[in-house]
Amino acid sequence: MPDWKQVVNQRMAQLNLPVDSEEEVIAELAAHLAETYDAARAHGLMHDAAVALTLQEVRDWRVLANDISRAKLEDNLMTNRTRTLWLPAAANLLAAMLLLMMMQKLGVQPRLLWVNAIEGKFALVFYFPWLIALPFFGAAGAYLSRLAQGGTFARLTAGLSPALVLIALICLIFPWGLLVDGLSLYRLVLFAGGLLTWGVLPACALLIGALPFLRGSRPSKILIGENNHA
Amino acid sequence: MTKRIRSKITRGSGELAILSLLAEQPLYGFEIAKQIGERTNGALQFTLASLYPLLYEMEKRGWVEAHWQPNHAGRDRRYYRLTTTGRRQLAPLRQEWRSFFQALDSLAGVSHA
Repeated sequence: MPDWKQVVNQRMAQLNLPVDSEEEVIAELAAHLAETYDAARAHGLMHDAAVALTLQEVRDWRVLANDISRAKLEDNLMTNRTRTLWLPAAANLLAAMLLLMMMQKLGVQPRLLWVNAIEGKFALVFYFPWLIALPFFGAAGAYLSRLAQGGTFARLTAGLSPALVLIALICLIFPWGLLVDGLSLYRLVLFAGGLLTWGVLPACALLIGALPFLRGSRPSKILIGENNHA
Repeated sequence: MTKRIRSKITRGSGELAILSLLAEQPLYGFEIAKQIGERTNGALQFTLASLYPLLYEMEKRGWVEAHWQPNHAGRDRRYYRLTTTGRRQLAPLRQEWRSFFQALDSLAGVSHA
């Protein structure tokens, strides 16, 4: 029986993979050829005929090497999680924050609701036009994740990303305030107010938009005219 | 253009065939190709050149995972197993193909039954 590893190795010079991965591919393809050869022999073919039949498994080794290199390496920089979660989430976050910045630049005034706390007054800040726009961003984030075949968790996280980042920031800033000024009821109320206006409300608005995209699969017209590599 | 469409259809059908097969049990490449050929009476046939790029692509997407396992003949085989992500792809893929055949049937009287 031919040394199939050598056969594959000689023909796959174009294979452009890290050494470990390349060795594994060569071993696997060689094992496949060996099985094909054995099956041909078991069907009564003579050695030469079995070898010829086995080699027909690959019409063009160069094309195969390129196909495998592409299959193994392409998109490696963009992992599944990047495609389904990080990119849609980042795009959503960026767009929502840009809109908020634009509104502030354009002079859109927030509605202030003054709250009397024990140690003083503070204002709850509501950017209603921004809050009204957030369902669209939630929908876009979840849709982008679904388009990349993200699961429900990825779609939800991508849809809610602006609110999640704001909540994370508030949760980071609050303990810092405690360290500087010490624990007080006023600080706690301030934290709760901030969490409500910049975390909970935006999250609810984003969720409204994201909900329709949490269920179901990627678009159904996939077979023709859509890239199946997504 | 026609070739491109055909390639996409072939690829899509290959993915569905492999996922369906691996949903039953883990298999190695040669066995995947063999079973697909046998169970479709030769209508779908994979060669080494068509099978492995697809398997590696599916592995990269996290639909399948593979591990080496020695067999009694001392020949190592790389077994592929469906992941949870892969299992999740199966139902929508089946639905897409059903819709595809229905669409083709209504257009050209081509039925998959």
